[in-house]
Amino acid sequence: MLLTRLKAGGPAIAKQGILVAFILFMIAFSVMSDRFMSADNIMSVFRQSAIIGVIALGVTIVVIGGNLDLSVGSMLSFATVLVVDLHDKIGPELAIPVMVLATLCLGAINGFLIGILRLNSLIVTLGMLSAIQGLVLIYSGGQNVDIVDHSGTWFAIFGRGAVFGIATPIIIFGVMALVFHIIMTTMPFGRKVYAVGGNPTASVFSGIPRSRVVFTTYLISALCVAVAAMILGSRVMGSQNNVGQGYELQVLAAVILGGTSLLGGAGSILKTVLGVLMLAFIQNGLILMGQPYYTQWLVTWVVIIVAVWLDVAAKRGRLFSPIA
Amino acid sequence: MTKTMRILLASCGTLALASAATADTVRIGITQNNVGIDSYQTTYERAFIAAAEANPDVEVIVLDAGGDVARQISQLQDLIQQQVDAIIIWPTDGQALVPAVRNAHRAEIPVVVTNSNIAEAGMEFIAAFSGPNNVQQGIYSAEMMCDALDGEGQIVQITGMPGYTTAIERQQGFDDRLAEMCPGVTQLDIQPGDWNRERAQRTMETFLTRFDQIDGVYSGDDNMGVGALNAALAAGRAEGMVFIGATNFAVGYDAMARGEYWGSVYQSPVDDAEAALQTALDVLAGEDVPKLNYFDTPKITQDNMEEFDRPVF
Repeated sequence: MLLTRLKAGGPAIAKQGILVAFILFMIAFSVMSDRFMSADNIMSVFRQSAIIGVIALGVTIVVIGGNLDLSVGSMLSFATVLVVDLHDKIGPELAIPVMVLATLCLGAINGFLIGILRLNSLIVTLGMLSAIQGLVLIYSGGQNVDIVDHSGTWFAIFGRGAVFGIATPIIIFGVMALVFHIIMTTMPFGRKVYAVGGNPTASVFSGIPRSRVVFTTYLISALCVAVAAMILGSRVMGSQNNVGQGYELQVLAAVILGGTSLLGGAGSILKTVLGVLMLAFIQNGLILMGQPYYTQWLVTWVVIIVAVWLDVAAKRGRLFSPIA
Repeated sequence: MTKTMRILLASCGTLALASAATADTVRIGITQNNVGIDSYQTTYERAFIAAAEANPDVEVIVLDAGGDVARQISQLQDLIQQQVDAIIIWPTDGQALVPAVRNAHRAEIPVVVTNSNIAEAGMEFIAAFSGPNNVQQGIYSAEMMCDALDGEGQIVQITGMPGYTTAIERQQGFDDRLAEMCPGVTQLDIQPGDWNRERAQRTMETFLTRFDQIDGVYSGDDNMGVGALNAALAAGRAEGMVFIGATNFAVGYDAMARGEYWGSVYQSPVDDAEAALQTALDVLAGEDVPKLNYFDTPKITQDNMEEFDRPVF
């Protein structure tokens, strides 16, 4: 009984290329640095990956739905500047809902243009990337914003607090990942997103409201950005205008590393979490080993390519195949 | 205000002024790096326009390259076409702009480089550089670090954007002076913070995991320095740790007032802008201007901070 289960489990594990790659790299890093596997370090990397991780959850759903979202980086700048600036003006209890609503509006614009008007998501969100950056600069007048009194505000909880000794960002990331995983694997909405991303035409003929589903994926993405902005703003107690610059690429890298297909219709929330953690652990491990910065860049991307290759090879059952 | 609106307004202003221009009015064009990307550049632009408006003999054309070197090159060509009397440039890329600056030189328009210098190959084509001496700033920071640590200890360094001249020069000044002045202070590691507070905070968290004893942190600017301070405070290890920065930001100034931050280098965007305009005017007046015309960026510490205004950025 156990043996047959193990036998069946073997290939199933082998198919989890990203998991295998993740474990291999973790072992390699622990051998090379004795600090790597310390509880402190692991907690610290989890906490650091929460911001990119939360955004990546939303982007995973957008990508499964067959689209892209490149505007999340500047949307993060926008949301963080807004919430930090409003914090000192109207207090956190009002600043947070205002920021969430404003960010959802940006998501709705993306959703309307891509979901309802059916414009190309690459072009729309690339345009939004610049437009939102402009919006941030208009709003802030180019000045950094800061929360003046650090100690006296409950806003600190999102980025700096802890519950039962676990940092709040980790809890937020974990809970959201779990909820999104359940939505995508067991609820009708999840199935619709996979259907729309897998074959948009067929999904329309089978009665799935394609426009509405795509629209909703962009709202979810914006909501994730709003949550990430609370963590970020609270963590540094301030914001620069360009704080989210380049995040969209790191997020996309994590999503792809997790095996979500850019063609849509396939992907998994939990594997995105693995992708996010793997990126964070690689960067952390390289600094722990005292690698200079330029080497880190090079090694990070070599590792990512190897991981993606392992993932694909595991699914094919061989390292190289002339046929996809 | 959007960039386009600003440029439009600047052009309208130019037209209005041009009609009223007298023979002794000088026209100066400025192309900036990336206004609005940070508070320093935004404040610089405001100060520059204010200084120009205060001088009735000066008429300025204010342009912004938006961080795009290609756009800056075409802006330089436009200014040459318009036959302005002098050009001030805040280079987006000190190397790529050399040919465009040479064109201005050939058109006999004096070029003043502001804030961040042009590559060595371009030095013969410019009238002067006006700005902070970043190597000197690194030297100041190293001296403050030595003083604060009494010449003994282990430190880490968080640098600015890799490849950016300011970041390289500050690091160079700091590294050289530290080694020379206090060999008893060792640098455990140097990693970039990309001028980004959150990034610097992450880098510092990793440093704290890696090293049991860190006595001091040098950051390429105070924005990153405050990120490093945040990380140390959160880990409960800030007590007794010396934080030295550069480009004193308001957050750094406040942290200094709270006694959490040791010192920095005071650099005012207003001084920077006014020095650039004055250098251009001096060049046009035929005065003997030093090629490298640095404005003063003094050390600011907890001891002398009340002599300085709280930075506006």
